[in-house]
Amino acid sequence: MMLVLSQDQKDHLSFLQTVDPSVVEEFGHIALESLRRGSSPKIYESAAKKLFVPMEMVQHGVEGLVFLLMESSKHMISEVNFLDCVLVLGFSEEVNRFLLKLYQEHQGQIRTIMKQLICSQPTYQNLEWRLDVQLASRLLRQQIVPTVVTRLFLTSGTDSSSRVLQTDPRTLLHIIYTLEAALAAVKTSHTRRILRNIK
Amino acid sequence: MRFRFCGDLDCPDWVLAEISTLAKISSVKMKLLCAQVLKDLLGEGIDYDKVAKLTADAKFESGDIKASVAVLSFILSSAAKHDVDGESLSSELQQLGLPKEHVTGLCKSYEDKHSALQDKLRETSLRLGRLNSVSWRVDYTLSSSDLREVNEPLIQLKLQTQGAEPGSSETTVVSVSADKFRVLLAELKQAQAMMNALQ
Repeated sequence: MMLVLSQDQKDHLSFLQTVDPSVVEEFGHIALESLRRGSSPKIYESAAKKLFVPMEMVQHGVEGLVFLLMESSKHMISEVNFLDCVLVLGFSEEVNRFLLKLYQEHQGQIRTIMKQLICSQPTYQNLEWRLDVQLASRLLRQQIVPTVVTRLFLTSGTDSSSRVLQTDPRTLLHIIYTLEAALAAVKTSHTRRILRNIK
Repeated sequence: MRFRFCGDLDCPDWVLAEISTLAKISSVKMKLLCAQVLKDLLGEGIDYDKVAKLTADAKFESGDIKASVAVLSFILSSAAKHDVDGESLSSELQQLGLPKEHVTGLCKSYEDKHSALQDKLRETSLRLGRLNSVSWRVDYTLSSSDLREVNEPLIQLKLQTQGAEPGSSETTVVSVSADKFRVLLAELKQAQAMMNALQ
């Protein structure tokens, strides 16, 4: 599939046309470093001073490269499509070959980094519960109202959160029934067929 | 097979597997290991060096050490949770294949600390918020901008509560007029009478 770059990104990357191929290589490495460890303004400043251009242009150029590499790795773009896409930007043949080499060598790495960057949904960590029975309140004595109070601990990466939930026994039974039905769905022949084909 | 110490459910597979690991150390060392695990469950912290020394004779690897601590933790806390007495625990563990000397040592330690364990578990049960302290002050309002002679008593109550999230505390300050305070006191006394009746 073709990778489409917006006009802004084409403008940012057009800055790279004006510089030497060696500088483009340098920028490629800076882009990879910023993917791995995050970017620092100092690098941009020193590059900007050397090239006598404003810092924003350097930053945009690097960010454009980062975007190009990320999108290509994300969609697993083939060689031909990548070259087509880069051709649109109007770089020299040498730069195109360099970018292709950069992409191919680091595609696996970039995909691993991106897997870690995307924050996943909170996952279950722990569930604490208690069974309370309300016997009386200010307005009404001699009641029996059982309630199950739970605290659900979730974790997403490094931060953990907790939510307090409350239910009456009938709803709890319904929840249990629904979850057991969900577990049983894993054992149906339909699911098994699909799992077999994925493996 | 249903086991009482597992809450009338099947014994988990990993417990079955690790019981055979436990059988490898001598029964004396096992009793000392139990004592360490009980210390940990009661919140006094576990001394991993001592545990390592105890298991060194049987040449446990780090995975085995962790497994034996985990299985002892599970057996002891689960037995306390379901209020299993020493003899039933002893017969069930022997059914699972733990040798008799080990079982007697374990059950003796369990029976010694049975009520302490249950108190600790009761303390760490889910609580949504606790009242930490109450302080009060009685003021007497002489006059105000609306009325020259007010001459009324006013009670200021400061409630320190521990919030739902562990580690968060809230302070609530309320000022109550004399009549409202009498109503509040009467209602709270009724609630207290009801609580005492339940005891």
